[in-house]
Amino acid sequence: MPLFGAIGVAGTGVTVYRKWLDAISDNISNINTARPTSAAAFQARYVVAQAVTSPDGTGGVQVGGIAFGSAAGRLVYDPQHPLADAQGYVRMPDIDLGNEMTQMIMAQRGYQANLAVVDRAKDAYQAAIQLGRN
Amino acid sequence: MSDVTVAAIHSALNGLALRQRVIADNIANINTPGYHAKKVGFESALASAVSGGTGAAGADVQTSLEPTRLDGNNVNLDQETLSNVDTGLRYQLMLRAMDNEFGLVRDSLRTA
Amino acid sequence: MTAPIGAVAALASQAVTPTAAVAPPGGLNAAAPAAPTGGAGFANALGGALDNLQAVQSKADTLAVQAATGTLKDVHDYTIAATEASLATQLTVAVRNKAVEAFTEIMRMPA
Repeated sequence: MPLFGAIGVAGTGVTVYRKWLDAISDNISNINTARPTSAAAFQARYVVAQAVTSPDGTGGVQVGGIAFGSAAGRLVYDPQHPLADAQGYVRMPDIDLGNEMTQMIMAQRGYQANLAVVDRAKDAYQAAIQLGRN
Repeated sequence: MSDVTVAAIHSALNGLALRQRVIADNIANINTPGYHAKKVGFESALASAVSGGTGAAGADVQTSLEPTRLDGNNVNLDQETLSNVDTGLRYQLMLRAMDNEFGLVRDSLRTA
Repeated sequence: MTAPIGAVAALASQAVTPTAAVAPPGGLNAAAPAAPTGGAGFANALGGALDNLQAVQSKADTLAVQAATGTLKDVHDYTIAATEASLATQLTVAVRNKAVEAFTEIMRMPA
């Protein structure tokens, strides 16, 4: 455990939540990415958080992996679309904007919470540095 | 209170001050295409200097080998911000340590 | 010279050494047998206190070097040790100053 361990642990949380925000931002920006029916749909990215094991149990968190949304997506009838097949269908990603927005709020709050931990930990460590100085 | 301790604390303060400047440089270049982050290391050199009976050790600046973004820049703002907080705290701690070292001398000179 | 005064004088002459607070404890212990028996107890106590002071100071020093090289585990470990070292030094210096005071007081006594 490094000298200011709590800051390091909160830092792992900040990194995970930023990657989650990146993934959500990617999902939302691709919400209208159409593909021909012969190809797989754009697959949403989901960040999987995983605890880091450490001897004293305070290793923090890391991105354990990325889960992907449905490759089948949903078929949308849009015969005007240049990628539409003979029946007039294109393959759209199966991303729910409401769900993404909810996740974005969660990720943003998690990011802020971890930064708040950094702030409080800094105050606590400063108090420890001042210990014994009337 | 020993000369090695005072010198080691001095070296640490030098290293930490340099690290603080390098972090500022990295954050200033957060959007500079092709910029590679720099890292300051002095702890291991200082540790071997101390075990060799001296407290004087220099710091070395290395270029980060982290993967770059599309613009060729690899500054990680989260990491730099946290490192900034950490370095600031460690600087405060080393200042306190230096103060303590001088305080011991001051205390033993006190006659009334 | 009566025993109690001899004891104080012997102690004071040890304590008046400028480096008493930082001198290796061995020096004081070596000087102790020469003192009259009444003073040996206090001299031993003083020697023990100096031993302790040096141990506390070197513990604080070790932790300070650990902090400098980034291997310190907890900030408070160091700050507590440093405070202990500071208080132990102040205590020792206060005792030394009192001993010097006592010595000069005795020297001022009319023969």
